[in-house]
Amino acid sequence: MSGLSYTDEERELAATARSFLTSFVDNGYLNVQSESERGYEAGCWQRVCELGWTGVHLPGRVGGSDGSLVDAALICREMGRAAFASPLLQTLRAGTVLTTLRSDKQHDDLLAAMVQGTPAVLLSPPDRTLVGELADGALRLRGGACLVEWYAASESVVLLVPGSDGAWWCAVVPRPMLDRYATDVASIDNERVSRLELDGLTVPGDVVRAASVSSRSARYALARADLLRASAMVGGAQEVVERTARYALERHQFGQPIGGFQAVRHHLARMVIAADGAELLCDDALHRAEPDLDEHAIAAAALFAAGRSYTEVVLTAAQIFGGVGTTVEHVLHHHFRRAKAMQLRSGRRANRLRELHQSLVVERAARPSSLW
Amino acid sequence: MQSVIGAEQLTFLGQLRDYLDALDPALLEATRAENIADPMQPREHGRRFLRQLARDGWLGVSWPTEYGGQGRSEIEHWLFAEELYNRRLPNGLLTLNVIGPTLMLMGSPEQKAQYLPRIIKGDLVFAIGYSEPDAGSDLASLRTRAVRDGDDYVVNGQKVWTTGASVATHCWLAARTGTQEDRHRGVSLFIVPMDAPGIEVTPIVTQGGERTTAVFFDDVRIPASQRIAAENDGWSAIVCALNFERLFYHNEPRWELEQLAQWAEAEGLLSGDGAEAHALQERMGELAVDVEICRLFALRGASLLAKGAVPVAEASANKVWWGELRQRICNSGLDLIGEAGTLAHGSPYAPAHGHLEHGLQSSPVWRFGGGTNEIQLDLIARHRLGMPR
Repeated sequence: MSGLSYTDEERELAATARSFLTSFVDNGYLNVQSESERGYEAGCWQRVCELGWTGVHLPGRVGGSDGSLVDAALICREMGRAAFASPLLQTLRAGTVLTTLRSDKQHDDLLAAMVQGTPAVLLSPPDRTLVGELADGALRLRGGACLVEWYAASESVVLLVPGSDGAWWCAVVPRPMLDRYATDVASIDNERVSRLELDGLTVPGDVVRAASVSSRSARYALARADLLRASAMVGGAQEVVERTARYALERHQFGQPIGGFQAVRHHLARMVIAADGAELLCDDALHRAEPDLDEHAIAAAALFAAGRSYTEVVLTAAQIFGGVGTTVEHVLHHHFRRAKAMQLRSGRRANRLRELHQSLVVERAARPSSLW
Repeated sequence: MQSVIGAEQLTFLGQLRDYLDALDPALLEATRAENIADPMQPREHGRRFLRQLARDGWLGVSWPTEYGGQGRSEIEHWLFAEELYNRRLPNGLLTLNVIGPTLMLMGSPEQKAQYLPRIIKGDLVFAIGYSEPDAGSDLASLRTRAVRDGDDYVVNGQKVWTTGASVATHCWLAARTGTQEDRHRGVSLFIVPMDAPGIEVTPIVTQGGERTTAVFFDDVRIPASQRIAAENDGWSAIVCALNFERLFYHNEPRWELEQLAQWAEAEGLLSGDGAEAHALQERMGELAVDVEICRLFALRGASLLAKGAVPVAEASANKVWWGELRQRICNSGLDLIGEAGTLAHGSPYAPAHGHLEHGLQSSPVWRFGGGTNEIQLDLIARHRLGMPR
């Protein structure tokens, strides 16, 4: 039972994505890519672009498919299911932020390049540890080191950071400009990560074309980008639940499938509840992520629930699979690592929860679109 | 994505809110207090309130118009239940939400004509007669017997945890008509008026103050016309009714979290910046996420019903999530309150008006009522994932 509210077109898109990814992605493929220099396969990326995924949610004027955030989220869900690592999620996030914040055509060249397959990344540390201020037309950055997935593969960095006066700064920086501050680092999962030390960096105004955006707009744009990651985590959780259920029917002990033991069945039922809750919240948030609705609160809730559920599901799955689930010969190891890594990319749990408290409990009364 | 809650539904919710806001405040206050004290038994004010709703055409939102309902979808019914529960007002309880829909599916034309018009007027209250001293989760082992005698059945036996029986007009009674060895294939379902000769009701008072009962049947005669479905086929009606019951849980967790929020605001912790405030905000943030998930589990059940599907695992997930969340809010809310949380409800000094303390004491039944959560988890594993028994 899933996707009660999807249209036929959305179902078809998801089915196409699943059939494409399952045609070549398995644990062996993921292991090879994970060990490779680039971390993803150029030929495969080419096919991803030909399928139109990098521009699925971008306007037709830049070559995109004029699709919605839901379309992009469904592709991310299937990527998450497959535990497939590539610059796609980052490119979709960067495109989402730009198109949400900027209705003008200033970044059309960049968006068109994304459609053609030039990866971009979004740099916006979740705990707001990087801030910017405008000095003589240039953007000066302050703050600690930050981690950026697929930085090295990208050509452009979409920077979205808070300023000192409540407003935020959005700027597009050519990636080579930042290379001297970047170091490739090993991540616990199969995504590629760089560490950037940008404290004190001044990006000249003529390069960055920095634009001030309201805090409300910035939060909304980030919420939409974060829903893509939430959707990927939902997909991962669903895949792990299904794989674990199959294993519980195949694996026999004491002369019967281990799924015949109540203790195992209850583990599995808890996994279903966790994955369903995350899916329902993610889809509800996607449904409400219409322009100008400012539903960042429910999107943040969806992001939190997706990370919590994916992690909870892989921990229980590892218990049911036992030893076989811990080997690199089994795809569970990719989901296990991706679950925690993707959850942590949302930042510190305590910070996210206090924000959720603020938006869901304190500000609820002020949100006219809230049902209760 | 297609809209589950469209403009028409929001208009409906707006009309409902306007209607409820305009009701006599004294009636609302008395009904709310009665409902908070003991939600499973509509008494003086609760029944007055339900009859008022019935007179004004607000009961049976999703009931077909042929039975006197509004003929709207299950989505509007869900909105109705969430709104009333958000105000801690009764919404017709099991009678309107479980017995009525089950009768529509499984009752004979005569039974529908006999009961549905009175249920939708708010005139009837049903108590559920399933559990017995030795038949709880293993309901198929129940021993209360109904023996055919001419046009009647004669019932002998004992039910327990028959909540609402002391105020009910009727009992929805599961009794054995086959042999003990027939298990669930030897069970029939009857509607029994509570004033039938031979019925004795003994109250049982629980720790939270809610009242439940034991009901004794001593040669109680029931016309055979009051049997639902075929003889020995009562199990299907029980399963049907239980699935409705497990979708019947709604917005109380949101209300309880709101009680905690009001306490926190008075204490300066809701938006405060100290260590204690941060601890509270972190805890409440996660509970608030879980309240949103609770809303969506119930909405999913309603969406399935609206599409003509029968939610089973989905109803179980709704019930497990709702009960555990409610208990978690009360328990961890009291942790945040600390020592003052020991003050009993009724005391003017009780934090959050004692609602969390009262809730915690009431909470055990949330995890085992309507089928224990362990049974629900088994249903989910079997129906959703195809696990063997």
